[in-house]
Amino acid sequence: MVVTFQLNGEDCSFHGDPMTPLVDILRRERFLTGTKAVCREGFCGACTVHVDDEAVPSCLKPIGLVQGCAVTTIEGLSSGNQALHPLQANLEAADAVQCGMCCPGIVMSLSAFVRDNPHASRPEIKAAMVGNICRCTGYERIVDAVADCLDQARKAGQSVGGLHV
Amino acid sequence: MAPGVGRSFTAASTLEEAMAARRQGAVVLAGGTWMMRDPQRGVDLPDAVVALDRIPALSKVEIDSDHVVIGAAVTHAVLGRALHGAAGFEGLVAAAENAANPGIRRVATVGGNICALDFAAADLAPALLVCEATVELETFEGPKLIGISDFLKDRHALLAEAIVTRIHLRRDLVASAHIRLPLRKAGDYPVAVVSLAVDKDKRCRIAVGSVEPVARRWTALEQAMRASQASALDPERAAGLALEHNDFQGRDGREAEGWYRRQVLPPLVKRGVAALLKTEGLAWL
Ligand code: FES
Ligand code: FES
Repeated sequence: MVVTFQLNGEDCSFHGDPMTPLVDILRRERFLTGTKAVCREGFCGACTVHVDDEAVPSCLKPIGLVQGCAVTTIEGLSSGNQALHPLQANLEAADAVQCGMCCPGIVMSLSAFVRDNPHASRPEIKAAMVGNICRCTGYERIVDAVADCLDQARKAGQSVGGLHV
Repeated sequence: MAPGVGRSFTAASTLEEAMAARRQGAVVLAGGTWMMRDPQRGVDLPDAVVALDRIPALSKVEIDSDHVVIGAAVTHAVLGRALHGAAGFEGLVAAAENAANPGIRRVATVGGNICALDFAAADLAPALLVCEATVELETFEGPKLIGISDFLKDRHALLAEAIVTRIHLRRDLVASAHIRLPLRKAGDYPVAVVSLAVDKDKRCRIAVGSVEPVARRWTALEQAMRASQASALDPERAAGLALEHNDFQGRDGREAEGWYRRQVLPPLVKRGVAALLKTEGLAWL
């Protein structure tokens, strides 16, 4: 089966088993290894990407369901040669990255969350992270970074990823 | 041939197309959150699947003054948003908004949740039981309506020749609540779930999920509460009745043993009645 979709803004097509998990195509065929396959059960969040702007686990997304969709991975959020996404910058500033395994998934989950919830409280930030497991940090610094990110955006009257706050 | 190379995948855009694929033996693919874990469970993915997410009629929630119709391909996230603030559906909203984790809720569908045969911990099942939902199926012989209790009991046979298309709800509840007990707050399957509702005739409906292999109404407790002289909608009293009328056989599972699932039910009933009493619909009590 042939599946066509947009990947980080570019046209992309896949020939093969339509039940292949999206994460495997990203990593094995496109070498976008920022997206991690850890539990493959929807529990850890390390494989989170945006599909049509929604943060979803790519380990449970068969490529057949991605036909015509727009997929954004951590590499599409910031190429490395350009400024980081404000959330990434805040995670770095808060020293919230340790081994880094969970971080792409956390950034993809929470970048959609801050875009859609510019006035989120700390408990709401924590609720949004329920599906992202981090074995290193104890989470508090990550929550701090998200709260700082929203705070800065509000003070500047700017948006975090599209919406004005 | 490598596994999956010859797999057939139908992205149906109409129900007719989906049924045609079903007749050819294709298995229904909803959000994928259950089926995609088949390889993890040592089960092969099906050779032919039919996806329902491109059928517009199955992806919407219709809210009327006296009933609600939920398409089978509606996700938990969409359901929670659609019914948020609708009096009487607090329990169903809580079930949709707290199941699994946010990423799964954006993908997992209502139909998938009630059709996953081995999924005892489905949050929507007890919540729909207290709504006394009616399940609409498209069978090889045409459409068919069946109560959710019977559907859950007989779904193995029913789904061999049918697709769940819609869930119908009457708006006859004044209040409802959904209490779940996961081992951790973050994303676990619940050890036990108690859904409660009070209808316009002030009758209390109670259902339990995750304790036995299939969710069911707790009729012994409902009857005891009806027969109770004192106000049964007292959390302590309800917990006492739950203890007395606990007729569940807990299932052993990875998260908890059967005795524990059974034993936590009275405290969950107590929390549930307390939650019911906090709803706007029961402010008159
Ligand atoms: S690898 Fe997808 S959620 Fe863990
Ligand atoms: S930084 Fe190591 S798992 Fe989160």
